[in-house]
Amino acid sequence: MAPTMRPVDVTAPRESAPQTRETVFDIKDLKASYGSNVAVRSVDMEIYRNLVTAVIGPSGCGKSTFIRCLNRMNDEVPGFRQDGKILYHGIDLYGDGVDQIEVRRRIGMVFQRPNPFPKSIYDNVAWAPRILGLRKNLDERVEKALRGAALWDEVKDRLKKSALALSGGQQQRLCIARAIAIEPEVLLLDEPASALDPIATASIEELMHDLKTDYTLVIVTHNMQQAARVADRTAFFSLDVDESGRGAGTLVEYDDTGKLFTAPSDKRTEDYVTGRFG
Amino acid sequence: MRVSFQEELDQLEASLQEEGSLVLRVLRGALNALEHRDVELADEVIAFDDDVDVLYLQIEAGIQSLLARQTPVATDLRLVLAMLHINLHLERMADYAVTIAKMTKLVADVEADPPLLQSLQEMGERAEEMIRVALDSFADRDLEQAESLVELDELIDRSNRRFVERVIELVAEPDVREWVLRMVLVSRTLERIGDHAVDIGEQVAYLLTAEFREFTDASHPEEHV
Repeated sequence: MAPTMRPVDVTAPRESAPQTRETVFDIKDLKASYGSNVAVRSVDMEIYRNLVTAVIGPSGCGKSTFIRCLNRMNDEVPGFRQDGKILYHGIDLYGDGVDQIEVRRRIGMVFQRPNPFPKSIYDNVAWAPRILGLRKNLDERVEKALRGAALWDEVKDRLKKSALALSGGQQQRLCIARAIAIEPEVLLLDEPASALDPIATASIEELMHDLKTDYTLVIVTHNMQQAARVADRTAFFSLDVDESGRGAGTLVEYDDTGKLFTAPSDKRTEDYVTGRFG
Repeated sequence: MRVSFQEELDQLEASLQEEGSLVLRVLRGALNALEHRDVELADEVIAFDDDVDVLYLQIEAGIQSLLARQTPVATDLRLVLAMLHINLHLERMADYAVTIAKMTKLVADVEADPPLLQSLQEMGERAEEMIRVALDSFADRDLEQAESLVELDELIDRSNRRFVERVIELVAEPDVREWVLRMVLVSRTLERIGDHAVDIGEQVAYLLTAEFREFTDASHPEEHV
């Protein structure tokens, strides 16, 4: 080895990640229930700006419920109740006077199945800006969003064509373009690649790496290797069964991704990531 | 529970222990050949190294396949990485035994110095002991035992230094000059086997603690654990 070469820490945060961490979400003792069923409880964690934070865990551990709490997506669900606090830049997301629309403008969401509107590619991306009255320079805004979602080169000659003619991977990137067209700060992604083939999955993962320069990303995934590939921080949720035999999801471990996948602190995390659970 | 994955891990570890016993056999053969000027046995040792190499390559291929197919993480990942290193250290030890056998053949008809021959045998026994401790600490996941290799290594290092001092005294004597000069390499070789045993201990510590640290650092000898 040449004497000038320094050892490389492959688990270190990538260069685009900031050296000092700024807290976007400060979650304190979160508990979310549907009627009498507790979906997730006792979650304390901070989510940092311009990082990809992954949430992993077995089915039923409450990871989707958790991420949906971050932009009040559960509000419309009958019987839903949330306790504890989610501070977004120090402001209580569920506090009085907080506008739900404003929350979702700043905190966008992409779902498991690509769900483009049955409209043109252009209109899909332009839809939210129009609703919010952001009509100025709309063409530029649409192009910027499509470029941001790494889709522009593939669709620039057919913007007026139906979005439904796009492939699954393209549709998902269109949904990401639609989410970023209104320039949110945070993107929540709930299993964004689980319905996609490996090539489309790779392009979404690559895109996430690029997007974190401008956005804070939180991704729920059941694919542990995907979390290992894309996330700077990983939270492991598990199903915790209490004395009465009732189960609820809970946060077990939250750490830098490299640490979580090489030397997890909690036995339950170790068992889950090595495939020894159950 | 990934049953077949666990079986593959167990199989690889068993192969590694088997490689360890082959190394002990090849080293014992080399030491006996040296003591008894047994050229025939020295040739057997040299040929026997091929068996170690075959096993080494099998383990290497097994680890490669496991990494490609199973993407081990956490303790599994550390175990696979530790096995990758331990495999290499064991293979090098067998190569050193071959060096001893080759030197034995070169001095078959040359006068030896009995006290030095005796001290080489003692160093050889220490090296064997270190290999056993290294393999046992791995099998038993025993951090304390792994760390004890540092003290054993200190003994073998000291013997090596004493050996060289004695060689400096004897080198002027024409009758034994060739033998002692060739035996400097054997002494050095046994000392190196000790170093590889310590390296295996470091891998065991990494497996158990998730932190890699050198037990001894040649450039900062005062910082021994």
